[in-house]
Amino acid sequence: MHYLIVGNCAAGVNAIEGIRKLDKDGEITVISNEDSLAYCRCLLTEYVMRARRGEDILYREEDFYKKNRVNLILGKEVVGVDVADKKVILQDESFLPYDKLLIATGATPKSLRIKGEEKYGVFGFRRLSDAEEIIKIAERTGKAVVFGGGLIGLKAAYGMKKRGIDVYVMVKSPRVLSQVVDAEAAQIIGRWLQENGISIRTGIGPQEILGDDEVEEVILDNGEKVRTNLVIVGKGVMCNTSLVKGSPIKTHWGILTDDFLQTNIEGIFAAGDVAETTDIATGNRTVNALWTAACEQGRIAGMNMVEMTKRYPGSIGANSADFFGLPFISVGFVRVREEGYEQLIRSNPKEFKYKKVVLKGNRLVGFTAIKDIENAGVYTALIRKKVNISPVKDILLEDYLDYPKVRDLLEEKEGLRESISMQGDTIRIA
Amino acid sequence: MKRVFVDLERCLGCHSCMIACAVEHSLSKELFKAIQETPLPKPRIEVRTTEKGDSFPLQCRHCEEPYCIDACIAGAIRKDPETGLVLSDEKKCVGCWMCVMVCPFGVIRPSLVPDKREKVAIRCDLCQDRETPACVEACPTGALFFGEAEEFKKAAGKEGGKKNALLNSG
Repeated sequence: MHYLIVGNCAAGVNAIEGIRKLDKDGEITVISNEDSLAYCRCLLTEYVMRARRGEDILYREEDFYKKNRVNLILGKEVVGVDVADKKVILQDESFLPYDKLLIATGATPKSLRIKGEEKYGVFGFRRLSDAEEIIKIAERTGKAVVFGGGLIGLKAAYGMKKRGIDVYVMVKSPRVLSQVVDAEAAQIIGRWLQENGISIRTGIGPQEILGDDEVEEVILDNGEKVRTNLVIVGKGVMCNTSLVKGSPIKTHWGILTDDFLQTNIEGIFAAGDVAETTDIATGNRTVNALWTAACEQGRIAGMNMVEMTKRYPGSIGANSADFFGLPFISVGFVRVREEGYEQLIRSNPKEFKYKKVVLKGNRLVGFTAIKDIENAGVYTALIRKKVNISPVKDILLEDYLDYPKVRDLLEEKEGLRESISMQGDTIRIA
Repeated sequence: MKRVFVDLERCLGCHSCMIACAVEHSLSKELFKAIQETPLPKPRIEVRTTEKGDSFPLQCRHCEEPYCIDACIAGAIRKDPETGLVLSDEKKCVGCWMCVMVCPFGVIRPSLVPDKREKVAIRCDLCQDRETPACVEACPTGALFFGEAEEFKKAAGKEGGKKNALLNSG
């Protein structure tokens, strides 16, 4: 049996482990278009701020591939899948055969779609190579402009500010994190970032990038000009689906997957930022391009490549970050813009504290917390397990809402992960 | 595999386990020095209460298939294949709180590295340097038990504490 994994990040690495759980002997090949061993993309922030060095952000030890008997091919791009002949086609026109295939090609930062974007000095914030170039320019000039106020843009801004670089964040929406938290929470976090020295301007986007070969100046869409040699783009990501174009593998936002993370073609699976799955909180089909989701999907897809036994319960939008010592967590559906939802909120903007739950009928579907984040996972479990929360509705916003208060509610439900219980114990939870 | 089990009926909610745990995970490992440390050492076991007001000591369950491992963006959490313990490498942790976000028991907590200002997520490590975890040793009523699940079932069953014999039993 030859397992082929395209992609060597969160989903790819966890798929290796998933396969090896059930099949010690099968042949595994991993092919990646990056040159480095798997690393923690989310730690580029720490890398930029000098809290971690390159070797510190490796996701697994260097001998991981050898230990798991993986044939690792780096720096090669897969450009096509021949479903009939069971092989993938590489850019150099060579090909690799497979018995089972996992597509874990991830995503690529969206571009700004403006003139001058190809100049040196415009980067996404996704690859180690991005971070290395960013550092080079920032060290020389001491200034950076970030377009986009999502988590990626803000994490890039935070990393650079901590390095001592002047950072200017420009957001087209009226506030930062407009896709992550509600308006009130966004304002609290935005104000905190500004108080810590990150300049944020809203309602502003880029129009054109000027310079010879290198970025020298940006024209904003209000006509204003900003001098900078470094532009970071945090405008979200697009699924890397180009390799399945022209193949019978179905795509929508991302590559469509079923309850076992298999695509519409038997023996071909998808996981991570490229995979479209069902969102647990909303029930909608979506791509939750998150590290956490990629790990779980990779592991489950890997196991299913060996034996179709492991059901994937669906993904959940869930983010957590800590900027300048202010932590926040947001899970599920929190940006309510339509009827049919109930919101309970406890807010203390002065102290940068916020807590909100979103209910649909007697179900918890969303949760946000800023500053006091202990027990956040208990809320996540209530969302995941679609628990009837009526018995604890009155104390949902209290800081003492913890596992013992909802234990009976959680345990009434069958586990989504059947055997999460501790060794030798009989608990069924989450 | 040895674990900490709780006989809920025996727990009086005295918090001795919490103090012993915080001291054990302090720099000095002595109570009167530990309380002067900055940051103040935090316990990794906490006595919480049920909706009825009964005491409920809670710490990392070392899950079979832990959510926290999937969630860790730093690859800092591993399950030891031999002992089954789920352990965080506090040197690798960057304090992003993803594990706090997904732990259904709420037993991973934000903290600071002793003597430093760095953020780190902490959890019960079953006192790797000790034969018996500090919390178990400190429990005056024998509510905490360290051993194999089977041993605990037997011990708890004998004394009629069956109802709550296994913490979280289904």
